[in-house]
Amino acid sequence: MQVYSIPKSIKKDSKFTFCKGCDHGVAIKIIAEIIDELNLKENTIAISSSGCSVLLYNFLDVDCLEAPHGRACAVATGVKRAHRAKGQDKFVFTYQGDGDFASIGLGESMHSALRGENITAICINNTNYGMTGGQMGPTSTMGQLTTTSPLGRNKEYHGFPIKTAEQIALCEGTQFSARVALYDVKNILKAKKIIKKAFECQLKGGGFSFVEILSSCPTNWKLSPQDSHKKIEEELTKIYPLEIFKDTTND
Amino acid sequence: MSYIKLDQNKCKSCYLCIDVCPHKLLKKSSHIGSTGELTVEFSDTENKCIGCAQCAIVCPEIAIVEVNR
Repeated sequence: MQVYSIPKSIKKDSKFTFCKGCDHGVAIKIIAEIIDELNLKENTIAISSSGCSVLLYNFLDVDCLEAPHGRACAVATGVKRAHRAKGQDKFVFTYQGDGDFASIGLGESMHSALRGENITAICINNTNYGMTGGQMGPTSTMGQLTTTSPLGRNKEYHGFPIKTAEQIALCEGTQFSARVALYDVKNILKAKKIIKKAFECQLKGGGFSFVEILSSCPTNWKLSPQDSHKKIEEELTKIYPLEIFKDTTND
Repeated sequence: MSYIKLDQNKCKSCYLCIDVCPHKLLKKSSHIGSTGELTVEFSDTENKCIGCAQCAIVCPEIAIVEVNR
């Protein structure tokens, strides 16, 4: 009996082009599994953004649009509303990095949540700008060494990192906001359950749903895939706790 | 009898699967992969594989294409 196979929503013969050990592959895989489970393949429009997350459309076999840097939630709003005006209810989700969602596109993201747009946003938080060479991002932790903070992030010069899932949970239009990680099997299965719940929120039509995924970036952290996962488990989860911050789906 | 199918062309030698296998059935092969390092191979001569699929769950490259129990 076959207990595991490649999700049907992954394009045939696709080979991920992420760096070795990068959690983007796991994140795309579980999103594809959820799309299969909820039978959403024909009805989904995915919005990818700039950064490593843009590569989503190369691998996911659903309709995809690429938004300008940071504008994924704004594009998703347009896509969702235009289809609704035509009487079609499409399932729309964005797939963004932390620099895209929480820095360049913070206005779009935050106001989508405040408006209670019925879309789902997935934010991959790897604490730097991965694709452009590991510059300091809005979520870089205090003391983190990056190419643009060679002496470490400090509060006098750079200020404090943003805790995206907590901030989005404060918006009244948000129905679901959570943070998950992918550093071991248990957390990957838990992440899948929580992302599925966020997707179901949109299908029920209650408002903005958001999941932040703590992801590794072995290349820019200059660590092995194993040490990157250890860093997430031991350091990052202390700063960015794994919790469901808001869930009003049963209200 | 459980077994997995592994696509060595997709493997990027991160070795995350080696760490999670409860029976240590995955190991480095002699084949050099796309990253210039040795890829992973599956060898189960004593039929120890339980088909738990943990290797497939952690693989970021979907290189483990099938798990059969």
